[in-house]
Amino acid sequence: MNVIPCSIKTLKGLYDISGVEVGQHFYWQIGGLQIHAQVLITSWVVIAILLGSVIIAVRNPQTIPTDGQNFFEYVLEFIRDLSKTQIGEEYGPWVPFIGTMFLFIFVSNWSGALLPWKIIQLPHGELAAPTNDINTTVALALPTSAAYFYAGLTKKGLGYFGKYIQPTPILLPINILEDFTKPLSLSFRLFGNILADELVVVVLVSLVPSVVPIPVMLLGLFTSGIQALIFATLAAAYIGESMEGHH
Amino acid sequence: MKNVTDSFLSLGHWPSAGSFGFNTDILATNPINLSVVLGVLIFFGKGVLNDLLDNRKQRILSTIRNSEELRRGAIEQLERARTRLRKVEIEADEYRMNGYSEIEREKENLINATCDTLERLENYKNETLHFEQQRAINQVRQRVFQQALQGALGTLNSCLNSELHFRTIRANIGILGAVGEITD
Repeated sequence: MNVIPCSIKTLKGLYDISGVEVGQHFYWQIGGLQIHAQVLITSWVVIAILLGSVIIAVRNPQTIPTDGQNFFEYVLEFIRDLSKTQIGEEYGPWVPFIGTMFLFIFVSNWSGALLPWKIIQLPHGELAAPTNDINTTVALALPTSAAYFYAGLTKKGLGYFGKYIQPTPILLPINILEDFTKPLSLSFRLFGNILADELVVVVLVSLVPSVVPIPVMLLGLFTSGIQALIFATLAAAYIGESMEGHH
Repeated sequence: MKNVTDSFLSLGHWPSAGSFGFNTDILATNPINLSVVLGVLIFFGKGVLNDLLDNRKQRILSTIRNSEELRRGAIEQLERARTRLRKVEIEADEYRMNGYSEIEREKENLINATCDTLERLENYKNETLHFEQQRAINQVRQRVFQQALQGALGTLNSCLNSELHFRTIRANIGILGAVGEITD
């Protein structure tokens, strides 16, 4: 009978190493709402990183840019180029939106993968990338949906709804369905990628802590960067698609 | 058995362990792997990023230098055009001061020459007219004389017959006789 408590203790010890708490969130109570505080905290950190680095880099703008200024100018050029490719000529007003999407998602993904969040221990749940929560990604996808609606309506007025019967009226239900699947796919794609990568790394770390997770972590960096780019590109593509069409 | 299952069930409850704090478990917090990943990232990414940024900087520098060159070239051309303009203006002023008087003189000369020529031509015309008049008159006179002479000749021829001849001889003999008588 002593065997069973021993096995229980070792099992408890195993649980201490492999503490994968999925679905366990750290809740704050604001008014009548429960919010996921761990997502808020990591989001704040991401925002602080973004704003801080930009403020530091753009302090003393020179004509011949120095390192930080050069880097941020390069990022801005990249985002502008991306918007211009997808949206076309009137890409100017949309660069801040696309840039925000891209930078926030990119920095949050990479912060989740690179920063040692697990050092800070919360009562429930754990800190990780803010985009591993479906609420975050939906919160990113819904404004994108609203954005392309807004773009189409301001450019074409109520004639925007004529696009639902392009090219043939038979495709009307599919076009309407598309308006729902676009934000759905955006949010789930990002959420699934980031959460899955994070889970894989955590599981691998819990199994073989030292060297084996490294390739997966590198792959995770790569795919999370790609996901940020995909989100931004798709957002720009939807906006461009709803603004085009003065044939 | 119930104890065992109870213990296992109690294992199923997540421990509401913990408060805020620092997790110092190396295996869970994963710093080794993180540092390796960061190291790899920085090692490879630094080279690529520096390349990109250097390219960008060089492109900006060369663009600025090119536009400076173009600007300098344009300014030089402007200067050259301005000096040419000034030279041309000076020459134009000179022409305006000298050239006009020369033009006036030339004009005067030309006018005078033309007047002279006109006069000469006028004289020639008058002379020729006169000459032709004279010739015509002479011709007419000649014809008149000719006619007169012809008339006279005709009259004479018509009058000159032996009767007149005898008469003339008789008259002359009479005169000669009278003259002879006088001298005697």
